[in-house]
Amino acid sequence: MSKIISLHSFRGGTGKSNLTANLAVTAASGGRRVGIIDTDIQSPGVHVLFGLNEGTIAHSLNDYLWGRCNIEDTACDVGAGKVDLNLDGGRLFLIPSSLNAGDIARVLREGYDPGRLNDGIRQLLSRLNLDVLFIDTHPGVNEETLLSIAISDALVIILRPDQQDYQGTAVTVDLARRLEVPDLVLVVNKVLPLFETGAVRDQAEKTFGAPVAGVLPLCDEMVQLASGGIFCRHYPDHPFTKGVQQIARRLLG
Amino acid sequence: MADHNDDLNKLVGSMKALASPFRAFLQDLHARYRPLREGVVASYIPELAKADPDAFGISVVTVDGQIFEVGDFENLFTIQSISKPFVYGMALEDHGREHTLAKVGVEPTGDAFNSLIKLDERSKRPHNPMVNAGAIATADLIHGADPTARLQRVLAGFRRYAGRDIYVDMGVFLSERTTGHRNRAIAHLLLNFGMLEDRLTETLDLYFQQCSLLINSHDLAVMGATLANNGVNPLTGERAVEPRYIKDLLSVMYSCGMYDFSGEWGYQVGLPAKSGVGGGILAVVPGQLGIGVFSPPLDPRGNSVRGIAVCTELSQHFGLHVFEGGGTRPDLYQALTARPQRRGSPTVA
Repeated sequence: MSKIISLHSFRGGTGKSNLTANLAVTAASGGRRVGIIDTDIQSPGVHVLFGLNEGTIAHSLNDYLWGRCNIEDTACDVGAGKVDLNLDGGRLFLIPSSLNAGDIARVLREGYDPGRLNDGIRQLLSRLNLDVLFIDTHPGVNEETLLSIAISDALVIILRPDQQDYQGTAVTVDLARRLEVPDLVLVVNKVLPLFETGAVRDQAEKTFGAPVAGVLPLCDEMVQLASGGIFCRHYPDHPFTKGVQQIARRLLG
Repeated sequence: MADHNDDLNKLVGSMKALASPFRAFLQDLHARYRPLREGVVASYIPELAKADPDAFGISVVTVDGQIFEVGDFENLFTIQSISKPFVYGMALEDHGREHTLAKVGVEPTGDAFNSLIKLDERSKRPHNPMVNAGAIATADLIHGADPTARLQRVLAGFRRYAGRDIYVDMGVFLSERTTGHRNRAIAHLLLNFGMLEDRLTETLDLYFQQCSLLINSHDLAVMGATLANNGVNPLTGERAVEPRYIKDLLSVMYSCGMYDFSGEWGYQVGLPAKSGVGGGILAVVPGQLGIGVFSPPLDPRGNSVRGIAVCTELSQHFGLHVFEGGGTRPDLYQALTARPQRRGSPTVA
């Protein structure tokens, strides 16, 4: 059974793309075939964690949405030849959004058919024979976010211990319930070490009535890495890495 | 507050529709029947012969306003005979059931779409409002001070059904009027028997105009969904026809809507429907949804070949026949809004 997991946060800067990449690498290292699709068309970012840039992306999700290529043509095999990712037989594909300013402008101006995005995601699952597909969504509420939630088997909502995040998260949780997502979990990210993990977890669960799959620390190492790689591989014994593994187990069994 | 919730529910509903496995089902259906190269495009007037035989659109609209569509669902074509049940509804509203029945019967004829006139021996009524004689007699019943007022009333009616302004294709109208000798003959015979008011030319023009309305498969599905929704357009919330006449429209569509294929259609597909020689077919699943299909090539009986195939498969796959299983008819709506179920893909060890 292939699984679609969306990662969402109401506001930007929650560490959503970083968590997506780390979860995907963790999932793939169990021998799974994993995909990441960057539906954050307005502000793509997850490709950076795998060392891709405008020059190394041949086809983007934008090309597919505009009918220029098939969805599988956009998939970058980001695990291939990457010894440091240590995927141990797993495979990892990334479907990036375009970094071209003109492409981003065109999406903003003309939009696209969200139905085609849905079709592409389904084709991706079957044509790449994926076990798991992670969807890195645009922050806030827009069409591709709602569609992603509507088709997901699980939704991970990321928030920081911050009042703005708390209020916004309530909106996303409400929408996810209306869209009847089967599995809804929260991840509290960037928690200062002086906070007590258990108390943060309890407060979030009480506020939103949804389980917390992980509480991840704010750490200097992450800032130093500056999206220059996959944190879990650089710091395999770090509490953040342990937390990601715990979330992966909760989502994938 | 209620309005906000409405907007939210609409947005959530549209996303559910996008995510629904029914979308993939329609796409598969469209892909499978696209290569079907049977039938010929209607050619009795040059305007119809220009239709692209490859154009093919399927639209489904539910009574709560969800829209599923695939292919050339925006391609405009002329409504032709699919206008007949709707104008019949307008005539019923103008005159009531008794007077309308005195002018047009509800008996299937088994005649071809282009058959010559056949009137009831005793009453001199056309047999039903779906054959040309009956449709001309029905158009004659539409109230209005002058031809323009009558046309405006008909256009306003179609606007309520479709939820947008509907226009007459002038080329098709003029062409129908120039070459419509058979319909003119029918009208004269009706006039001879006192079944038409003494405004034959005007009524014929109105009839040619109602047949020349430009619509697409999306409009047909919305109009069908309006009938399925007891007369209220599910997208605009506007009432298009009085609820007490819904059963009149659906009954004549069920028994007479598919020309001389109506009996077999009722047996195989089991849905009230109407076809037109422009390539459209409209079918109604009462209480659930409307279906609109557009594909110009017609079979010898004047029904769209792909349209028949699509409706037949939809009906049989989802068990939509109105007499299915003594009330155990599965609810297609449930299938439409179900969350997607994906088949397992093998895990790589």
